[in-house]
Amino acid sequence: MTAARWQDALITAGAIPASHVPDQSLGREDLIDVAGAELVEDARVRAHPVEPADLGPAPISFLDAIQRWKVAYYDGVVPIARGYVAAAVRRRTPADRRLHTARERSREMLVTAVERLHAGVRAALETSGIELLDVPEMAGQPARAQEAARRVIENARVAIEKQLGEAHAATLAADEWLVLDGVLSESALLARHPRALGVIKSHGAQYFEGDDLTLALTIPALHRTSVFKPRGRARNEVHSWYLRLWPWEGNDILFGLLRIEARAFERSPAVAQEVSGWLVRERAPVSTPDARWDRLLYPIHDVETYLKARAPRELLPAPASRLPRAS
Amino acid sequence: MIESSSPAPRAIGRVVATEQKPATPHQFQFWTAVDTTIGIGAIVKVGQGGDARTVFGVVIDGFAYSDLVTPLHDVIGAEGDPARAAHSPSARQEIRLWSAAVLRQDPEEPLQPVPLGDVFVASDADVAHALRMERYLASATPTAIPLGLYTSGGLESPVYLDADFLLGPEAAHLNISGVSGLATKTSAVEFLLSSIFQRYPAHKGRIAAVCFNVKGPDLCFLDQAAGLDEDDRRRYERLGLVPEPFERVRYFAPFKPDGVNLNTLRTHPDLVADVSPLVWGLQEVLDYAEVLLNRDDIDAKADAFIDFLSDRVVGKEFDDGFGGTHRVQSFADLDGLFRAIFNGLELASGGRSDTWRTHHIATMRKVRNRLANISTRCKGLVTDDGMPNDLPWGGFEDRTVYVIDVASVDPLGQDLVFARVVSKLREHLERRALGVDAVVVFVDELNKYASADGPETYVRKMLLDISERGRYLGLVLFGAEQFRSQIHRRVVGNAGTIVYGRMDFDELATPGYQVLSPATKIKLATLPAGELMVRHPHFTQPIFVRFPRPAVLRGRDGVERYPPVADLSFGDAIARQLVQLDRRVRPTVVHDLIADRSPEDVRRALAATRQARPEDPLAYFRKVLGTSVTGTATVRTREPVPPLTSIADEPY
Repeated sequence: MTAARWQDALITAGAIPASHVPDQSLGREDLIDVAGAELVEDARVRAHPVEPADLGPAPISFLDAIQRWKVAYYDGVVPIARGYVAAAVRRRTPADRRLHTARERSREMLVTAVERLHAGVRAALETSGIELLDVPEMAGQPARAQEAARRVIENARVAIEKQLGEAHAATLAADEWLVLDGVLSESALLARHPRALGVIKSHGAQYFEGDDLTLALTIPALHRTSVFKPRGRARNEVHSWYLRLWPWEGNDILFGLLRIEARAFERSPAVAQEVSGWLVRERAPVSTPDARWDRLLYPIHDVETYLKARAPRELLPAPASRLPRAS
Repeated sequence: MIESSSPAPRAIGRVVATEQKPATPHQFQFWTAVDTTIGIGAIVKVGQGGDARTVFGVVIDGFAYSDLVTPLHDVIGAEGDPARAAHSPSARQEIRLWSAAVLRQDPEEPLQPVPLGDVFVASDADVAHALRMERYLASATPTAIPLGLYTSGGLESPVYLDADFLLGPEAAHLNISGVSGLATKTSAVEFLLSSIFQRYPAHKGRIAAVCFNVKGPDLCFLDQAAGLDEDDRRRYERLGLVPEPFERVRYFAPFKPDGVNLNTLRTHPDLVADVSPLVWGLQEVLDYAEVLLNRDDIDAKADAFIDFLSDRVVGKEFDDGFGGTHRVQSFADLDGLFRAIFNGLELASGGRSDTWRTHHIATMRKVRNRLANISTRCKGLVTDDGMPNDLPWGGFEDRTVYVIDVASVDPLGQDLVFARVVSKLREHLERRALGVDAVVVFVDELNKYASADGPETYVRKMLLDISERGRYLGLVLFGAEQFRSQIHRRVVGNAGTIVYGRMDFDELATPGYQVLSPATKIKLATLPAGELMVRHPHFTQPIFVRFPRPAVLRGRDGVERYPPVADLSFGDAIARQLVQLDRRVRPTVVHDLIADRSPEDVRRALAATRQARPEDPLAYFRKVLGTSVTGTATVRTREPVPPLTSIADEPY
């Protein structure tokens, strides 16, 4: 059924059109927890200087994913959310220096408490041609329903990102690296891959305490910390280290600070030194106007821009005022 | 000709529109790949055959930018070292955004904004359609004149002008401007004249061209072939033209002051036989005496006196009222009359009378001075012999170029030549008695004759008259100049076709170029030789075209291949001209014949021989040299020159 026809059917069946894009619908939330860590390199956390270096002739692929959703209808108090998740891998070769899409995947969905819908509304959704996800928790208070919808759509985003990353990792060239925006430890395959890296920009999780924490979070620009093994929420074992791209003095303490995840193996400190060398070169070009430019690598910014450009426009906040229209 | 077949089109761009820069019915923007082949002046098509609306546009501006918010961020990324900026691992996303002006929409009504569709490179057929050429290219009576090739991204599409709008009657005249030194203006006109001669439709009649050579040897070798390279030959073939020099060219040049050597650079022995002397007598000059008078001189009294001379005196037995009888046929005769009048007034009234037959003596002295002035300054053009040699009025031939070389003539003489020739063309065309139905008059250095802010001269009035009325007569002006802004606005305003070569930046800053985009101006300022920007009534936007080199020898190449000979001695010059009339004439015989004769007698005899064109020139020359040669045969009924309208200041 065409989009216009199932939407007409939905309204005819009694659904009320809405256009509410919740604040948390455009990006990911930081997780805040105390995880702990075990040092792999050095007895205490140390700052290691990093020399910017070329990766060489090897191509690099960058993976990112986005999610968009909004409450599009209400059937009574039951919100019907439209969600969209997409992921893309864009590949860059040193000769070209431009990113080209290697693979991408997207998924569109309707999320609601299906059992609580009126029959006509449900029938319209089921014949819309869009994947319909049943989330019984969306039957209650709208605020809780929205949180439930967010979780479902975020899981869908994580899943599509993982699927695409694993698919691409399986086809990487012998010297090609794959850099993901986010944690590597979500995927067992990626966590074990010798040339997969996770680049984490948000630092909700705490791995050190006391002087180690101080040293880890105040390393100077172009320095990395000792390699450590994160504990706690990591589903698959990885090794990690902090890397400072830009001086933080005069800014926030997390300014320019990345946490890198890579395969856990005995030579990871050497790999950390090598990888950090070419990662710091990614400081340029600066990924402005994104507010996270100090931590957002330009290629990741590029993938994100690409995905946003291809996302359905109707899932963006309406540019017009939400004031009631004069009748 | 236009080729309609084309490979499967592939979109090269996409129309984009924002609230700040929306697509309109007259302009739109589109983006392309960074390494696109299109550029300023490219013709593009929006939409395909199946789309409800197809739009053709010409690229008038281009923009490139990246996602860089501020240059400072580039400095930060490169840590202040420009060398590092180019070596960042990633190249920023960048865009090639183009502005295009709409050439044509299908359907044309209702006129709507350009749809946000795919953009394609225009094919041959698209170019013809976009420029509305199909109306005169594929009609039952085609009037298409090849102008050049539109080139973009490897495509070469012929561009045609409509003869009805280039040569009349719908519109007419062509104005070409551009900096000097690139030979583009002259070459373009030579090529276009060749194109007109080859493709001027039969149903429109016969056509000729009159070209004034005003500098150097520019137009002196139009009948000589030039070497063309393969590219030029391919362009000729693409345009359906034959790369050949002009088949019929007739050259006219005045004599030098010695009255026997031609005042032209086409004096090489192999070529000089084609050059006819341009010699005028008193009668020819008097008809256009107004040319000789500057603005301050023009008054009713001087006009009336000149009219009196023309009507009552020249070529007739005339009694001066003081007992003398005159038959005025030359400047010398006229001067004799003036002297008789002045002496008569002095003697008859003791100097108290200052009028003669109602004409004041001051008026007569002024007219005498002006006429004496031209016979002195233009000696060689103006003869005292009463034996003119002129263009073949009434006998103009189809597809023939008449080159009048006045490059070395005094400016006053140039004005006289110009005014007389163009006025005679106008007279004959009005009477349909020229021999052809249309004449293209090519005038280089037009700013000299029709300047915007110069004095009001007879020549300028005449050019305005041609510009405004010539198209009805078949009198078409092709004018060339360096600075269009310096030409009288009614002259350029009436030119249906405007051509621009490489332009000077200062010129481009003048108000006449405000309608052009900055990018178009830059392109104009850097245009290579052989490329032009054209405006034509059927084209809604200026179009860039490339024309092949004309198949005629360039002036400077011509003087290298055919170097002009040094001036000959009087005797050798006379002998050579007689040899030109009859190759059997032996120079030594001529030298013997003229050995004891005065130069004036010899010149008269030569002029009479040239005019008579006898079977045996030497015998005729010998005969007339032994008698008194008069100009009786040249006296003719004076045909009045229609008055020109006065120059008004209202805009065209």
